Amino acid sequence: MTIDLAPNHKAGLALANPVMPAAGCFGFGTEYARLVEVEALGALVVGPLTAHPRRGAEPPRLVPTPGGVLLHTGLANPGLSAVLRRYARVWARSPVPVIVHVAGTAPDEVASCCQRLSGLEAIAGLELGLPDTADPDEATAIIQAAHASASQPLIVRLPLVWADALCQAAVEAGADALTVAAPPRGTAWYGPGNHFITGRLYGPYVLPLALRALRRVAALVSIPLIGCGGVHTVEDARAFLHAGAAAVQIDGAIWRDPACLAHVARSLRI
Amino acid sequence: MVQAGALITDVGTSGPFVRVTLAAPAMAPGLEAGRFVLADLGDYLRALLFPARIETQEFDVLVSPHHPAAALRPGIAVDLIGPLGQGFEIPAATDRLLLVASTAHLPALLPLADQKPGFSIALLLSAPTAAELYPIRLLPPAVEVTIVTADGSAGHRGSILDLFPDLVRWADCACIADDPATYPALAEIVREVRVELGRRFAQALVVPPMACGVGACQGCAVSVVRGTKLACTDGPVFDLLELR
Repeated sequence: MTIDLAPNHKAGLALANPVMPAAGCFGFGTEYARLVEVEALGALVVGPLTAHPRRGAEPPRLVPTPGGVLLHTGLANPGLSAVLRRYARVWARSPVPVIVHVAGTAPDEVASCCQRLSGLEAIAGLELGLPDTADPDEATAIIQAAHASASQPLIVRLPLVWADALCQAAVEAGADALTVAAPPRGTAWYGPGNHFITGRLYGPYVLPLALRALRRVAALVSIPLIGCGGVHTVEDARAFLHAGAAAVQIDGAIWRDPACLAHVARSLRI
Repeated sequence: MVQAGALITDVGTSGPFVRVTLAAPAMAPGLEAGRFVLADLGDYLRALLFPARIETQEFDVLVSPHHPAAALRPGIAVDLIGPLGQGFEIPAATDRLLLVASTAHLPALLPLADQKPGFSIALLLSAPTAAELYPIRLLPPAVEVTIVTADGSAGHRGSILDLFPDLVRWADCACIADDPATYPALAEIVREVRVELGRRFAQALVVPPMACGVGACQGCAVSVVRGTKLACTDGPVFDLLELR
């Protein structure tokens, strides 16, 4: 049996297992090669990447929070061309489908990224991240740009706080599936530098927020949903499936326990 | 690199540190000074542990009494990921090795204090007071130790910056583990007093908080002359002159 995350797309996006890593947590596919049993997973989600290289945020980027961590990378990545040179062959050998996460910075940049990725057989699907500040019109423009340029199925990752407000616009703009949701943003005081740092939050405390968002989205749209946020155990992943998700992404738990990916995947074998 | 369990076989003290011995046959052979393991000690982020003594089947870490690893007891199993990172790299032609450390950062350099015979090793060791110094008697006898305390209660009174220039002139290679705030001043001295600078003449340890340890999260960025590098995969040992 398989799960099809893109039943309305000509190619579909069939997964043999509902579990995959979340974008921003797994690198580009080689970093965890010796620590994760990739063949047990449903897919790999790699990236994020942008059309041009991004140096990312100045250090410090990471602040421990009670029970979790705040991370602000500034989308550090070597850019599309370098990523393809380094990893396209790795992805082609992957035993499971590879989904590339494209950072939805602006419609023209997204279009150029998706155009270059379009037709690459090593890439089974694209996941598009939306800016946290995008309103429905901005989100629509970015998703339409991706949809018009990509040949692969398009998953749109929604910002957590705007997930229900943006989900219908995302479907109308061409999303084949939705990831609910991107890690929420928070702010932490960085004592040694005497300043605040704003970034994404990872930790078990995100799970109830993401579950709530997914349930609200599930009531509004009928395309496949991928639950993402704070999954650390098999039960956490099951909660997303009960809430209406077809698949689950694991984020910060990978850093703490890389083996949890395959463990959760085996426990949820379909 | 593996994720594997390690058994705590011994816990004791070593000067101001708690010494924890971990039996880790899958990991110990790949460890060297400056490389590290990430240990699951219960907090959300794994704890970074640097080996202070490395054998084929086991290694010691020295941690402050407030470190979560200090609460470990013999018989407990700990989940480790490692070995990780790029350690100190001593050029083959090195005869005179300079180690520079504050006592708090010394453990990561200790594997370098046990070098092959014929090697001359000098250690410039600092602490706020004599009471906070790592005991010299615990270091290999062949290591020539120069002490600096802020209050003058032992050795030279002042800063390592006072004595660093002469020792840098003497050394073939310098390995440094200190507060990164001192690194710009140390780099300036190296540039001033060394006419010839071999590759990685001066190497410095930088340890920001880490999440993944493998370069996936991009969290442990370190500013370098041409942008940023990751402490977990490019470091945590960097060329001192490359740091910004």
